[in-house]
Amino acid sequence: MSRSATSSPGISLRLRRRFLESEALRGFSLLSPTLLAMVFGLAMPLLVLFTLSFWLQDYVDFIKTFSWKNYADFFAKPIYGMILFKSIKISGMVTLATVLLAYPMAYFIAFRIKTNKLVWLILITVPFWTSYLLRVFAWKLMLGYNGVVNSGLKSIGLISEPLEFLLYNPMAVTITLAHAWAAFAILPIYVSLEKIDRSLLEAARDLGENAFMTFVRVTLPLSLPGVIAASLLVFIPTVGDYVTPSLVGGPSGIMIGNIIQSMFGKAFNWPLGAAISVMVMLTITAMVCVLLWGTHQFRRRVA
Amino acid sequence: MKDLKKEDVVEQLATGKMSRRQFNQSLVALGATMVMMPVGSRSAFAGSDDHPTVFTWEGWDVPELHQSYLAKHGESPNMAIFGDEEEAFAKMRAGFKVDLTQPCTYKVPIWKDAGILEPIDTSRLSTWDDIIPSLKTIPGTYEGNNQYFFPTDWGLTSVLYRADLAPEYVDNESWGLLWDPKYKGRLSMADSLIDGVMVAAIYIGAKDPFNMTDDEMVKTRAALKEQLPLMRYYWTSPADIEQALASGELVATSAWNSSYAALKREGLDVRYTSPKEGAMTWVCGFCLMSDHDPAKLDRIYDYLDAYASVESGVFALTEYGYGHGNINAFAKVEQDSPGLLKELGYSVDVNETLNAGIFQAPMGNEPALQAMFEEVKAGM
Repeated sequence: MSRSATSSPGISLRLRRRFLESEALRGFSLLSPTLLAMVFGLAMPLLVLFTLSFWLQDYVDFIKTFSWKNYADFFAKPIYGMILFKSIKISGMVTLATVLLAYPMAYFIAFRIKTNKLVWLILITVPFWTSYLLRVFAWKLMLGYNGVVNSGLKSIGLISEPLEFLLYNPMAVTITLAHAWAAFAILPIYVSLEKIDRSLLEAARDLGENAFMTFVRVTLPLSLPGVIAASLLVFIPTVGDYVTPSLVGGPSGIMIGNIIQSMFGKAFNWPLGAAISVMVMLTITAMVCVLLWGTHQFRRRVA
Repeated sequence: MKDLKKEDVVEQLATGKMSRRQFNQSLVALGATMVMMPVGSRSAFAGSDDHPTVFTWEGWDVPELHQSYLAKHGESPNMAIFGDEEEAFAKMRAGFKVDLTQPCTYKVPIWKDAGILEPIDTSRLSTWDDIIPSLKTIPGTYEGNNQYFFPTDWGLTSVLYRADLAPEYVDNESWGLLWDPKYKGRLSMADSLIDGVMVAAIYIGAKDPFNMTDDEMVKTRAALKEQLPLMRYYWTSPADIEQALASGELVATSAWNSSYAALKREGLDVRYTSPKEGAMTWVCGFCLMSDHDPAKLDRIYDYLDAYASVESGVFALTEYGYGHGNINAFAKVEQDSPGLLKELGYSVDVNETLNAGIFQAPMGNEPALQAMFEEVKAGM
């Protein structure tokens, strides 16, 4: 192609060629709807949160100067660290309970059900068609003073006075959350179990492993990605949950989400609330990194 | 970063006085402010365009409380509900535009300071002269001749208990019932500063519960800590305590008049106390928001008059057991159903009831109180 001044291609043509030649540009344009949604839906709010966490609250106004004071407060007052630790403990329990309960269910569908697997999967999700809030209230009815458990035990004569320790404590929060998030654990575990090549299991048995050792040395390590995914899907959102603890937690069951909510509401200190949120995010990120590193080590040793 | 004006930024940019760092800082501040400013919040609200928007508590939005507005304009105004004033304030600060709100007195000064209130033109209210005079002069709700608050509702915060389960308190009514270890795990209190922490302040005998001395703060904290193990939970919704009292899960709790009226109607043996330390009196009413739509002012004042009418007052008294701003409502109830007022806990001379209680006032050092309450609830 001659490059004389008179016959140079039009500017739009040049842009078009540039666009088609550059893989990165084409990639970005393909991504752009998602990318825009991510930028406006995730990155921008996060940026706002970070910015806000360095401001200060002054009665009804923000002091818009950079300050570390909110973070200093977070470390200076033991309440925030303590509640964060408690939230992590509760979420850890919830994750453990959920995964332990979900694994057998997923295992059953993956290995024992031969026909109509889809129907079984849908059946498992049926309880989750109702709203999250309704499920929390359902547990309130189950565990309540005159609830299903108490009146059941009373009618068979095991107790004469309703048990009061069922509701309004961390245990009630754990039970409710474990139930509410079960579907998020069953599905990823099921998928990873379903993917396991059945001939590997046969090989293990042929080579003399018993059923239990086959599970420990073959099935479990191969389904680990599903277990990790399930743990993360349950652990991360439950740390910050505030609806469940505020409804069934009572004074001893409050979690960090309740503190953050109060900062944005009753306590009216948005910047401190933002700083606590950032600290929660950082803590969870650190824990997830440790978890991923740990499972990596584990898989290397077992495999 | 200093607060920069738009012109300053442009000028400093043009003359090169602003460093890159400063410019980036101002960009971040601008971005953060922009994101927090909702776009088109007005259009996002699905309501009729002709009617004002009223932001209020659940139960005060019912058509029975604005019959004459309904008769005149055919429709109710647009109603939005908040759970408490803090939630309402947070929503309005995030850009929710409303014409009228219905907070309680102790929140009026801070809202006024936040610049979201405008004085109410009382000469446009036909019901203004019927309002109980002592409610019009609560400190913080007016400034000179500017009235920022139209008092329409009032009631008590006091102990509500099952007389059949705690008979020893029948003639010995005290806030102390909420600290009685005998009823461990069967007591409750409002999860609130004004209806919770202030109760503890009254209980320990603070001279001015709403502006406590350091010593009184320490005592209040100790009282709350002592109370924590006795609590079943801190309540946030009257429905919770009503069900729990009915089932016997709770023996006693702090409560508002409406819970008493509701349980009494169910035929339960409940008492609403006049504690010897004094009950708390709260007063709620309307505020005109500074970003109201001026075109709707006529309807706004129509609504206020409808709400403050005798008919609305009779409904509030007989259905909810709440006091009303319109003094004539009390005479009407007494005339229609003699004895009902006394049963609901009001003297026939309303001022007597009002003077017996401790008026809720703005709390000094609210952030410190809130932090203290959070810590106590966390067991510290």
